[in-house]
Amino acid sequence: MSESLQVQLKKGVLEMCVLALLSGGDNYAYEIASRMAEAVGMGEGTVYPLMRRMQNEGLVTTYLVESPAGPPRKYYKITKSGALALKSQITDWQAFEVSVRKILGDVA
Amino acid sequence: MTRNEFITRLRQGLVGLDPDYVRDVMADYETHFEDGAKSGRSEEEISAALGDPGRLARELRAEAGFKRWEAARTPGNLVGAVLALMGLATIDVMFLMPFLFAMFGIFVGFSVACLVLVVVGFALMIGSLFPGLAWFGLTGGVEMLALGLVGLGLVALGVGLGALFSLIVNLIVKALVQYARLHFRLINTVTQEA
Repeated sequence: MSESLQVQLKKGVLEMCVLALLSGGDNYAYEIASRMAEAVGMGEGTVYPLMRRMQNEGLVTTYLVESPAGPPRKYYKITKSGALALKSQITDWQAFEVSVRKILGDVA
Repeated sequence: MTRNEFITRLRQGLVGLDPDYVRDVMADYETHFEDGAKSGRSEEEISAALGDPGRLARELRAEAGFKRWEAARTPGNLVGAVLALMGLATIDVMFLMPFLFAMFGIFVGFSVACLVLVVVGFALMIGSLFPGLAWFGLTGGVEMLALGLVGLGLVALGVGLGALFSLIVNLIVKALVQYARLHFRLINTVTQEA
């Protein structure tokens, strides 16, 4: 039961977490995947469909950086509309968090 | 699973999609394996952390199907998008099945109804131009005008309902995709933990 609650919670905040990560600086997929896997236990493979969708929705853009060894590396950058989406998601999250804590406060 | 096994199975799962799209996707995962190797992980570790390539392919396929439907809202792309969503088949989609079938039935029925309204409307308008046909026993000038106006009304009704209906279908497909996303993303994390 608690595992399923955790999974549901993670699903809801994945996009917000990736946007927050990118707002701290551009990054490439492997790094995003391992940071997310470490932080919220997200399957690393699912980062790619997620990034693709966020790119389609204009929340992030990509650019290539030449690398000294091997092929150029694809970096993800948060867009203006991505930053706006992040802002409103954080507001929603904080409002939600406050109301849950209020209810939990009565119990614990 | 080795890198080659993973890549082969993912590629098999994406057969039939746009080649450019497949190349992009494959490049993403190839790079992932290379980056993983650089940070000292084995191919087995990397592919285990990536998850089931078959499931990833189904998720990517559903996303691509939805994109095609957004780009061109044709009945064919609707069927494609819905089929791709159903390709994610788990218990959640089983719950959705009756709803999907009903939706498709309504889609076809309503499209046909709108088409019939438009066709009948046009027929009436054309009929009103030829009093000699004496449709419904009508021959007088005023009666012809009325017939033409009724025809015009039916055409407008058909087009209007059609437009309204396509808006509704859009909303439904969007909601469905939202539902599918919430239920399938991260699922390989769950199966790994279980």
